[in-house]
Amino acid sequence: MKKEIIKFYLEYKLYIFPAVVALSSLFLIIFAIYPQTAKLIDGQKSASQLAGKSEFLETKVQALESVDGEDLARKVRFVLNALPAEKDFANVLALLQQLTAESGFSVSSIALGNSGTKMGNSDSFDVRMEIRGSKVFLQGLLSNLENSPRLIRVKVIDISSANQQGADIALSLGVLYSGLPKDFGAADSPLPELTSADEGLIAALEKINTTTPTSFAQSPRGKANPFE
Amino acid sequence: MKISINLLPPELTAQKKKSVKFIKIQFIGISIVLVMIFLSSLTLALRILQNRNISLYQARVAGAEQRVSDLKNTQASLTLLKNRLQVIDQYLGVASKQTSIYQLVDKLLPQSAVVSSISVDQTGGVTFVAVLPDNSALESLVTNLTDTEENKEKFSQVTIESLNRDKQGLYRTSLRIKAI
Repeated sequence: MKKEIIKFYLEYKLYIFPAVVALSSLFLIIFAIYPQTAKLIDGQKSASQLAGKSEFLETKVQALESVDGEDLARKVRFVLNALPAEKDFANVLALLQQLTAESGFSVSSIALGNSGTKMGNSDSFDVRMEIRGSKVFLQGLLSNLENSPRLIRVKVIDISSANQQGADIALSLGVLYSGLPKDFGAADSPLPELTSADEGLIAALEKINTTTPTSFAQSPRGKANPFE
Repeated sequence: MKISINLLPPELTAQKKKSVKFIKIQFIGISIVLVMIFLSSLTLALRILQNRNISLYQARVAGAEQRVSDLKNTQASLTLLKNRLQVIDQYLGVASKQTSIYQLVDKLLPQSAVVSSISVDQTGGVTFVAVLPDNSALESLVTNLTDTEENKEKFSQVTIESLNRDKQGLYRTSLRIKAI
């Protein structure tokens, strides 16, 4: 039998050997080279993605570590004064009284009105304020209100019985507040960058906060650290 | 003259040719198999290296994610700051429609006009009652309010709701202005 096989091989070796080589090569291609190459290409994509993510996270960590915590807390305090997470009626009433007095008006009444009105992406509640004073100072009051440490929008202006002694003025104001965002960003989400315009805005807020009396302008009520 | 005579049997010649051909095929075949084995080993080695690199990157990413997580309060503060600034930027120092309309109407009123009441509603519409000393003041008021250059194209309609002239020659008028 063995001799017969050897004889058969010797007779057809010119065909058998190339066939064996072809089959072996095919086997290697199908079961080793092709799958490994495909995995290599996929792996290259994953590796470059991971490398990119790693680089991004490293940059993010560096950026976060370079942030001055105290300065950031101060800036957050200013923006939360301007747009707090809660309505904070007490501070609003104190602020309105202060601004009207500074602008040369006396407050007859302040009434808190409709709450939960949407103003852009923020919420707002209405305040109706009746004041008395010279109409000449009204523009100053309106400007003070809309440039106050708290975001206030004038919605209705109603001036009646204007005479030389003064005028009865009713103002309907929208006071803005906005809940804290639910998503503060995942680990791999890009870090918000403060532009020069943002820095300018913070400087403006700081200026407003320092020029208005400290009794109401400094700290928002509620938790000292809203993220805890 | 040289004469060569091949005395070998033709079968032997054919066998020799066949043997040479087989050696060639054997050489090519073995070369192909060796190349295939080399390629298989190469891809395998590259895969192993790549897996090692991927593990390294994964470890780096995990480490960096942990550090970012440790600094999440700073990130939350920055996100909050940016979020708030975007809203504040829309409003701070920007006069509301009502304020800017009031300021414009106040500017357009002649100095001699005495306004007894003025109202700016939520749409920016204005209603006011004014007393004017003479005809020219009345004309100046209407011209100012209706001139698109003067009113900065903020008014779409100016309606005189009433106009009275009393014994002293004073004009008492009530106007309604519709804002754009």
